[in-house]
Amino acid sequence: MKPNPHATPPRWADRLLTWFCAPHLLEEVQGDLHERFVRRVTLFGLCSARRQYAWEVLGFLQPFFLKRQPQEYSPSSLSPAMLRNYFTIAFRNLSKNKVFSMINIVGLAIGLTATMLILLYAKDEISYDRFHAKNPNIYRITSAWSKPDGSLDHKDGNTGDFQGPKFKEKIPEMEAFVRVQSDMKNVRGNGEIKGYEVLFTDANFFSVFSFPLLSGNPATALQKPNTIVISEEMAEKYFKTKEALGKILEVKEGDKFVPYQVTGVAQKCPQNSSIKFDFLLPKVVDPKDYATNENWFNFFQNTFVVLHPQADVTKVEAKMKQVYESDAAETIKLMATKFDEKNKAGYFLQPLLEMHLSTELPAGNGLVDASNPMFSYILTGIALFILLIACINFVNLTVARSLKRAKEIGVRKVVGSNRKQLIWQFLGESFILSFIAFVLALLFIQLVLPTFNQLSNKALSLSYLFDARLVIAYVGVFFATSLLSGFYPAIMMSGFSPIQTLYNRFNLSGKSYLQKSLVVLQFGLASFLIIATLTIFSQFNYLINKDLGYDETNVVMVNFGEWISRDKANVLKTELLKNPNILQVASKNAGFMATLARVNGQKEINFAYETIDEDYFPLYRIPVKLGRNFSKEFADSTHSVIVNEAFVKEAGWKNPLGQLVDFWYNEEKYTVVGVAKNHHFADLNQAIKPQLFTMKNGRLGKVNIKIKPTTESASLEHIEKTFKSLFPLNPYVYNFRDLENKKAYESEAKWKQIMLFSAILTIFISCIGLFGLATLSAEKRTKEIGIRKVLGASVANVVSLLSTDFIKLVSLSFIFSFPAAYLVVQKWLENYPFRIEINAWVFIITAALTICIALLTVSFQSIKTALTNPVKSLRSE
Amino acid sequence: MKRTYLGEFEEVVLLTVAVLGEGAYGVAITDELDRQTGRSVSISAVHAALHRLQEKGMLSSRMGDATAERGGRRKRLFTVTVLGSRTLHDIRAVRQQLWESISPNALPAISI
Repeated sequence: MKPNPHATPPRWADRLLTWFCAPHLLEEVQGDLHERFVRRVTLFGLCSARRQYAWEVLGFLQPFFLKRQPQEYSPSSLSPAMLRNYFTIAFRNLSKNKVFSMINIVGLAIGLTATMLILLYAKDEISYDRFHAKNPNIYRITSAWSKPDGSLDHKDGNTGDFQGPKFKEKIPEMEAFVRVQSDMKNVRGNGEIKGYEVLFTDANFFSVFSFPLLSGNPATALQKPNTIVISEEMAEKYFKTKEALGKILEVKEGDKFVPYQVTGVAQKCPQNSSIKFDFLLPKVVDPKDYATNENWFNFFQNTFVVLHPQADVTKVEAKMKQVYESDAAETIKLMATKFDEKNKAGYFLQPLLEMHLSTELPAGNGLVDASNPMFSYILTGIALFILLIACINFVNLTVARSLKRAKEIGVRKVVGSNRKQLIWQFLGESFILSFIAFVLALLFIQLVLPTFNQLSNKALSLSYLFDARLVIAYVGVFFATSLLSGFYPAIMMSGFSPIQTLYNRFNLSGKSYLQKSLVVLQFGLASFLIIATLTIFSQFNYLINKDLGYDETNVVMVNFGEWISRDKANVLKTELLKNPNILQVASKNAGFMATLARVNGQKEINFAYETIDEDYFPLYRIPVKLGRNFSKEFADSTHSVIVNEAFVKEAGWKNPLGQLVDFWYNEEKYTVVGVAKNHHFADLNQAIKPQLFTMKNGRLGKVNIKIKPTTESASLEHIEKTFKSLFPLNPYVYNFRDLENKKAYESEAKWKQIMLFSAILTIFISCIGLFGLATLSAEKRTKEIGIRKVLGASVANVVSLLSTDFIKLVSLSFIFSFPAAYLVVQKWLENYPFRIEINAWVFIITAALTICIALLTVSFQSIKTALTNPVKSLRSE
Repeated sequence: MKRTYLGEFEEVVLLTVAVLGEGAYGVAITDELDRQTGRSVSISAVHAALHRLQEKGMLSSRMGDATAERGGRRKRLFTVTVLGSRTLHDIRAVRQQLWESISPNALPAISI
């Protein structure tokens, strides 16, 4: 009878048997059981046979069959002799192939350095403001403004004097509030006057924030007016000691300097603090200001509150809404009628811990170091790029070099090594290499930390590395790197068949797609970064070289540090012009002012409001295209304004001269007497916005001085002398206009440097990897090349033979990297209203550059091989 | 005279291997035991006994042919070694000697 093919023993029983039965007994036992099963199926039927089969399997479940046969030779891979052997072999291999070891170690070290630096950076970023003991209960009061249709207009991190006290009074969950207002103050000490940013704050500042005082009582330090808390740095500067308690510093108020008593010396603010201060002054609010309910609409400082630990933030926010809408009800109506403010405010709480990395509500207005998490992401991406490329090198070189170790693997297998042992051996080797790289990376970090600090705007130090969590992260990176780079080679190499490897002509044939695709990936990343770098460079050059619409050369700017009257400014002008090196002098408001006015009756326009004098346009060579410049002959200060072309466009005027600009809230009206040509008064990251120039009295904050070229030192001396004699109570600070303009592009300059560094690093690591591969491929083909040369191949033939493969791979990588780079770069450029066009040349240059570098790397080895004497390579088999 | 100790079951298994000659493997031995002694023996006990006997040096084994009903698995065929043979002979001689030493009427009669 033909056995029924469906008559099989129960699967689970069969599996169970396979699992528990010792391998050397399994075949016969299972065979016997199956044989009996088949017979029983014919005798008793399937069901019974299956049942009996299962019983019999269970019968084998006894120690005799469970016990595995001991292997006669099973050296534990952890026996000391084996371990010693592994280490010996590992170090011999490292020292035998110095070039490869160097490439691997240096590459990995660079990758690790980059990653560790970024970890350091990221840790610093997320640790911002965490040192305050009252966390996480400290919040900043913020507001969101919604338009009449309910959509969001904007969010604001600033508040006024009202929000803190009013909310605290009515909401029991708020335990405390503290306001922090930034201001510029001139400080006199040691006979020198200098302008500083100071913070005015409430008396409970030190109970909310954990800034330790070196001396002074934190509870009372800011209670009285005319007291001041200074940083230890300032104490050292002005009093040459940190024991500055009770000493006097003079702070300018109005026209005179007022003595302030030092009531506290604070320790240097931690690096990762959003509040950094040199001078803290008690905040004094005029009772009259409290009475004016319109101050609900005055936003100029940061207000922090401490909530009760059990408080529910959403409930508190709801209460804030109630308090605001009841207390400010009348003012809201007033604002709507008087100033046409139709947007509605809602108040919210932003946790202090979220402030540093918030892009919506960044730290500002006296709070420092606001950071965009984008920066962290990009840096992390770059670091991972570099580490990845280094790991790829490792994998590629180890795999390529495995050919040389094939014999070792064969012998090990023949004398009884099993696959697991070999995997551990190779993994162990990659751990040793990574460890050396890790130590090297620590050295690198020490070296590059200053540069990195400068690039990332931080003050990190190596001691930050010894933080428990960071150390864990580093050890994690170390293990991940070792595994990432060691795993594939270990699996692959341990799989070699000993017969093949020991047979003389073993060749690691196969197409090695993995190796090739890894090279493609490497060069893809490298060319991507080159394109990014080139674009950033040309955009940067474009920004700093673009014609700004005015002449920025040889202009010195001096800030008064306060508003001064036109008369005073004119006195300075006359005095300055007495020196023949001074060509022109023009006063202007300091900083940037914006306001709005009505044109054509109803239309409201936002614009930059500039207070200038009649020499401003000539000094900067800004042409007045229509109408005339301001002049002393007309009553310009009360009647006339000049606008720029953007303003005309915005207003929609066909004939701008004689039009009226209506400042309805001041009840002032001005006539347009001239149209100035558009110029980039703000930096080029912004489009040219409407601008209005006025001669109105007051509000002059700085003086522009055009000097003769190459007379800088003489002119500056004269300017300083004149300024100090006329304004003895003001600090003297000068800037050059063109240098100042360049400063606007600091972030671009920083990106430029970062991209340059990362592009160089990636291309460097990619190239050393390529170099290694080329060397190996040349070595592998020594005989072939010998024969080719004997048969008449020229050196050029051989070089091109050896290089073509790699160049093909590098070219292939462009297919992937160029479109990706195009998209990313395009996206980045969209941030700039004035930008370069992405040029085909960027891609051509990148391609040429990458191929050149790759060719250079490869041909070094190719030429060396091509020049070897064929006799040498062919002599021995 | 010293010899290796054999249990009763081992002895029977060893004898069965001898009975079967060339074709002595797990299933055949179990069946033969069943037939000859009328005892129902479990195949696992037979396997265990066979391997113990092999460890004691009384059986040798080699792998035989594969058959379809075994799912392509080979049989392990056992043969009695010289030591096994001698042991069996010894046991038999001792028994014989003992039988012969029994006085004719010492055992109660079992037949009528």
